[in-house]
Amino acid sequence: MIKIENLEKVYKTEEIETTALNGINLHVKAGEFVSIMGPSGCGKSTLLNVMGLLDKPESGSYKFIDTELLTLNDKERSNFRKRNMGFVFQNFNLIDELTVFENIELPLIYNKVPTVERKRLVNEIIGRMNIVNRSGHFPQQLSGGQQQRVAVARALVTKPKLVLADEPTGNLDSTHGNEVMELLCELNETGTTIVMVTHSSHDASFSNRIINLKDGHVISEKINKGKTEELI
Amino acid sequence: MFKLNLKIALRNLWKYKGYTAINVFGLSIGLASCILIFIFVRYQLSFDKDYVNGDRIYRVVTSWKYTDGNEFSSSGTPLPLPAVFRNDFSQFEKVAAIQQSGGIIKAKAQVGKAEVKDSESVFYAEPSFFEIFNYEWLSGNPNQSLSAPNTVVLSEKTANKYFGDWHKALGNSINLDASKDFKVTGVIKDNPQNSSFPLEIIFSYASFNDRNMKEWGSVSSGSECYVLLKNGVALSDLAKPLAQHLNKYENDKDAPGKVNHTFQPLEDIHHNEDYGNFAQKNTPYNQIIGLGIIGLFLLVTACINFVNLATAQAISRSKEVGVRKVMGSPRNQLIWQFLSETAIITIIALLLACVFAELTLPKMENLFGGDVSFSLFGHPIIFVFLFGLLVFVSFLAGLYPALIMSGFSPALAIKNKVAANAGGVGLRKTLVVVQFAITAILIVSTLVVIKQMSFIREKSLGFDTEAITIVDLPGDSLSQLKYNSFKEKLLAVNGIKTISFNAGAPSSGSNNETSFTYNSSKSADFQISVKSGDEEYFKTFGLTILAGKAFTKSDTTKEFVVNETLLKKLNIMKPEDAIGKIMKIWGSSGPIVGVVKDFNNYSLHEAIAPIAIFSRKTRYSTVAIKLDTKEVASAMKNIESTFNSTFPDYVYESNFLDENLKGFYETEQIMGTLFKVFASVVIFISFIGLFGLISFVATQRTKEIAIRKVLGASNLELVKMLNSSFLWMVLIANLVAWPVAYIFVSNWLSTFQYRTELNVWPFVIAMIASMGITVITVSLRSYRAAKVNTIDALKYE
Ligand SMILES: Nc1ncnc2c1ncn2[C@@H]1O[C@H](COP(=O)(O)OP(=O)(O)O)[C@@H](O)[C@H]1O
Ligand SMILES: [Mg+2]
Repeated sequence: MIKIENLEKVYKTEEIETTALNGINLHVKAGEFVSIMGPSGCGKSTLLNVMGLLDKPESGSYKFIDTELLTLNDKERSNFRKRNMGFVFQNFNLIDELTVFENIELPLIYNKVPTVERKRLVNEIIGRMNIVNRSGHFPQQLSGGQQQRVAVARALVTKPKLVLADEPTGNLDSTHGNEVMELLCELNETGTTIVMVTHSSHDASFSNRIINLKDGHVISEKINKGKTEELI
Repeated sequence: MFKLNLKIALRNLWKYKGYTAINVFGLSIGLASCILIFIFVRYQLSFDKDYVNGDRIYRVVTSWKYTDGNEFSSSGTPLPLPAVFRNDFSQFEKVAAIQQSGGIIKAKAQVGKAEVKDSESVFYAEPSFFEIFNYEWLSGNPNQSLSAPNTVVLSEKTANKYFGDWHKALGNSINLDASKDFKVTGVIKDNPQNSSFPLEIIFSYASFNDRNMKEWGSVSSGSECYVLLKNGVALSDLAKPLAQHLNKYENDKDAPGKVNHTFQPLEDIHHNEDYGNFAQKNTPYNQIIGLGIIGLFLLVTACINFVNLATAQAISRSKEVGVRKVMGSPRNQLIWQFLSETAIITIIALLLACVFAELTLPKMENLFGGDVSFSLFGHPIIFVFLFGLLVFVSFLAGLYPALIMSGFSPALAIKNKVAANAGGVGLRKTLVVVQFAITAILIVSTLVVIKQMSFIREKSLGFDTEAITIVDLPGDSLSQLKYNSFKEKLLAVNGIKTISFNAGAPSSGSNNETSFTYNSSKSADFQISVKSGDEEYFKTFGLTILAGKAFTKSDTTKEFVVNETLLKKLNIMKPEDAIGKIMKIWGSSGPIVGVVKDFNNYSLHEAIAPIAIFSRKTRYSTVAIKLDTKEVASAMKNIESTFNSTFPDYVYESNFLDENLKGFYETEQIMGTLFKVFASVVIFISFIGLFGLISFVATQRTKEIAIRKVLGASNLELVKMLNSSFLWMVLIANLVAWPVAYIFVSNWLSTFQYRTELNVWPFVIAMIASMGITVITVSLRSYRAAKVNTIDALKYE
């Protein structure tokens, strides 16, 4: 589904240039669950942001089911993103001024889903996430685990083809972290492709494939046997 | 501790440079405008305040009530009145008559100085006038200098003008109208600009003579009478003796109107438009109040910017507050800290404001055609005002933010967990609504003022005003003999179309009202306004005859032409019906030969009067010349030389009719300009405030904007989102503003008898304009916020 070739990304600041991605090649099949690991600053987040069309690389190619995405203009990128992708962040990134329900509803609004349909979809996902009695609360009133579940719900509500998660458990204790990982696995089992950045090999063990980055390029790739067989 | 706070204050201002700049700039522009308004208002309120006995000085004015309900008032009194008052009223310490007049003044050539000749406004005054009003005498004194006939007192400036040096004036003489010589017996110090008494040349009252000297029934506005009340006398003490006086002297049963006199306080003379004054400067209190309101509006809008930005910033300063509280800082110390920050900003803004004000003062002087000079620090009271501004603004702008910020709970504040609306989102919205309501009120008012002024400019007055020059004529009998030859010579000048000798244009500052009879031996129950002119009057001024014809050539009054209003008042339906009816005015009777279409004889503040036009050579004082627009310049030159050769003893003076008419609206013009300028300033301040606020909101919502973008919001959707709340506020502000603005403008318009129709457009335009500018302001700033790099905004917590 995803074919990334020779991706390069350089950050220029006044003093220095940082090569964050240095010729990345990466293929992801539909329905795969890929983990990206590597030391801090090796370019994991940058890669994920490029995949999510939040950032533009200097060169390379990024094909999503035969569509070249790097040549799209701002508007097309934003349209493509809202139809096909969902995001989960380490720091949840919920809007404090909106309730749980409204936070989850937001991507549907931007996708111009009709109101009735919107309510149905949001209620459905709230039920699945086990946060029904929280739907009128504000993010500040929830625990970290609950907040991240809301964020996952928000990422899923549009039924995206690809979910990108940047250290989704980074701010959570292990119990809550596992809950979130189980959610992602369930999601993956229903056919959604997931690319996740993580520091934890425990979390990575949930995925089909683990990719190791260092200094902006892929240094190794490991198939997670147990998982892949399961998948087959 | 204070030094530390000051340091923190200054560092904070520096940290939020952008907001500080907006605050200081907006505030200083607002303060500069307030300073200008203060200087203007102080000047207007300072008129006639420098007299020792000012609070006991009154002007006797006259009014008539007619049976048809009309009223008429005059600043003058009947000529015999002052002497009678002096005799009959024990309540007066002094009574003085003063007569305004005009003439050609000439001082003979002297060693080292050529002859000086000029047309001047002159006065005849009793010595007691100068006992009521204390003037500084450089030489002479009231009783010695003004008792004898044919003596004159000059102002220092005038004496210098005619004699080179005022010392040389004493004992010398000046000549009036090429006939009488007057000996200079005193010199007084020049009048200040803020005086209703432009006394330059004062003849002794003993030299004054008038055919109405004994007439009770005739009043000229130039014959004024001033009284100085004895200490302890109240106005109410005068009611009874005044009633007795009216009964005894001014109870003419045949007169159409009922006469009354009023004692007008000296301080009212500059501000009361009903009577006017010698200086012809009038600033009614309501205009001063109007300006004061604008000044207050300016301050309030500038302060609102301040409160909005300060409370919006409050959240980001919550941590500082928390730490200070944990370290034991009591709340009132924090309040003082924040107040002193505001005071520092205000002081900076005030200093800037003084610079702005100083730079714009010459512009304000220009408004008055250079008659007035203003200086920023010319009157020490300005310092009191500046200090008052400092205190007022510091508290108005600083107290609320200080209370909010000092009230944060330290536990929450330190964790930066102060709720996002701690700074009072509700209050901020209310203030924005207030600010934009003020803006909308001023936009509506300015539009209406502009509309009315252009209505005045464009309204047809019912006669021609273009390319007509009015030349003053000498009125003495010798000169009158030369009128015909003057006319012959003028007719030979190229570029002159028609010439009419008359006593005033169809609309002019001087209007004469008198009683008259129509088709009966009894006076009508209202007065008629009279215009005298020769047979060319109608053609020269382009007046339209509706029925009959213009009167035929005559030096005396034989026939009358009247206007439509007179017919209406007399209940005559068809103009033709009036033709041939006999009228009697000023002792002359004759038939009505024509009816002229109504024309405006006063300023557009007033309705058209019933008018009769007739010829009477002895009254003519000007000649109106209709010029060919293509040859104005050359014709004017020839007219001047013709005048000078015909009347060598007189001074040529001419004015264009349209310029004269503009003079009717001088105050409106000045007020209109001030209004426009200050209204623009308020609008400007509101919008930079809005820009500041939207900047702050955009910064505060950076993360939210980024999240929305990740979720698929387009830039346009984000700009719309940020716009909508502001647009709502501006919309509500406009709705709030409408009724208030309506009351303001309809009140102002009601001072004009002829006014532009007040329709919905100024209100709609104000709304569209304010919402349009809001959209632009907010979009500019929020587009920048929407474009900001999404990832950066999300990365940092
Ligand atoms: N906006 C930026 N400007 C400059 N340098 C950046 C920026 N974002 C990331 N970097 C640099 O790019 C490199 C990769 O960063 P990142 O992808 O965030 O690493 P990781 O997520 O693997 O910790 C780092 O060296 C980081 O300092
Ligand atoms: Mg990272």
